[in-house]
Amino acid sequence: MRIKVISCDVMFREICHLAAHSPNQVDVEFLPKGLHDLKSAAMRERLQQQVDAASTADYQAVAMAYALCGNGLAGLQARAIPVVVPRAHDCIALFMGARQRYQQYFDTHPGVYFKTSGWIERGSTANQLSGYGLDMAALVARYGEENAEYLFEQLNQYKKTYNQFTYIDMGIEPDDRFEKQARAEAGERGWDFERIAGDLSLLRRLVDGDWSEADFLVVPPGYRIAPTYDDRIIEAREAAP
Amino acid sequence: MPDPSRLYEAILNGDHKTSVAVTREAIDAKIDAMELVSRHMVPAMDEVGRRFECEDYFVPELLLSARAMKAALELLRPLLAAEGAKSAGRVVIGTVQGDLHDIGKNIVAAMLEGGGFEVFDLGANVAPQMFVDTIRERHPQLVCLSALLTVTMGSMRTTIEALKQAGVRDSVKVLVGGAPVTPEFARQIGADGFGESATAAVTLARQMVQA
Repeated sequence: MRIKVISCDVMFREICHLAAHSPNQVDVEFLPKGLHDLKSAAMRERLQQQVDAASTADYQAVAMAYALCGNGLAGLQARAIPVVVPRAHDCIALFMGARQRYQQYFDTHPGVYFKTSGWIERGSTANQLSGYGLDMAALVARYGEENAEYLFEQLNQYKKTYNQFTYIDMGIEPDDRFEKQARAEAGERGWDFERIAGDLSLLRRLVDGDWSEADFLVVPPGYRIAPTYDDRIIEAREAAP
Repeated sequence: MPDPSRLYEAILNGDHKTSVAVTREAIDAKIDAMELVSRHMVPAMDEVGRRFECEDYFVPELLLSARAMKAALELLRPLLAAEGAKSAGRVVIGTVQGDLHDIGKNIVAAMLEGGGFEVFDLGANVAPQMFVDTIRERHPQLVCLSALLTVTMGSMRTTIEALKQAGVRDSVKVLVGGAPVTPEFARQIGADGFGESATAAVTLARQMVQA
């Protein structure tokens, strides 16, 4: 098969690795990390542009290396060729290899921030896309010193309630630099640290075209992605004419 | 005579020092506290909400305006009580189990307070049982549930189930909100209302306590 993969930049190393080893001929387009920080309509529009551009006779399908991503994929429409999406809430499920594993881990570990190579090294910080989470100097410049102190405290409140970094080792990193950095940052914040082994198999199946109904949604032309609010995560519904 | 419309401006500009100063002047000049709230404070927060919706204001502006409003409200609280101002209603609000996001929920809580509601804010990562216990203790008219992740929205369903199990579901109206929440989801889980934005949530809250 010849497929177009549209991928979040956060999965750069993983997708490059899988594309190189795939029996399919795979073209990849990476979009900036952090689109989920925009309103979901804005993220969807951005992705739709890419899907539209890819929906040509050159490819048999467009494979999205994304999850539902805060409804950023809700409403995304398949044009002339099918769009394939893994059934997952967030990319962390993709790194873990199974949405059930993600839900289980999430439910038993509230207050965890996840790290992978992409979360550490890719792109400028996601927050800059939405103008959120400015650093202290920028806050002072925009709001004045006293307001900046208040805002800095409010916007960093989460550091008191979140309490752990979990680093997901995907097995393709060149060395332990990412794990070390995550561990060091946990130490600086006084947070716990855990390293878990990731699982490439779900992303591999996305890139290789092994799209079981149980784990993937194949959206036919003229249909759109819709959240189901159950374990299937997403389904295809007829797009409005 | 101090100009109370300066309170509107101060809140809109996120200027808590001016909002406090203007409120003090107004109190000294014996301006009616309820009027200050309904004529100047509530419209200010409504306008803040509107600007947020059209992406003129972002979270930092919201936080500063909420702070300005809350500072003024603190000064007016004893006067409102003395005037016999009736509470618009009693609300229990919280972010559901598993979800630690609270900025949006805090803003809604602040706007509900500014709108005259008595608000019990349970914080974030609130277990269903905590909602049940608080309902039994405080007898609110409204329960507001917030979630910011699709992966924690399921906790809204389990919270409503817990209210049913405990036999308190019918004694309250449940409002749900948060960026990924949709009207369809609200219907599916049997919520009574869906707050599309902080301003919409407050408007809906007012309607629901009157119903």
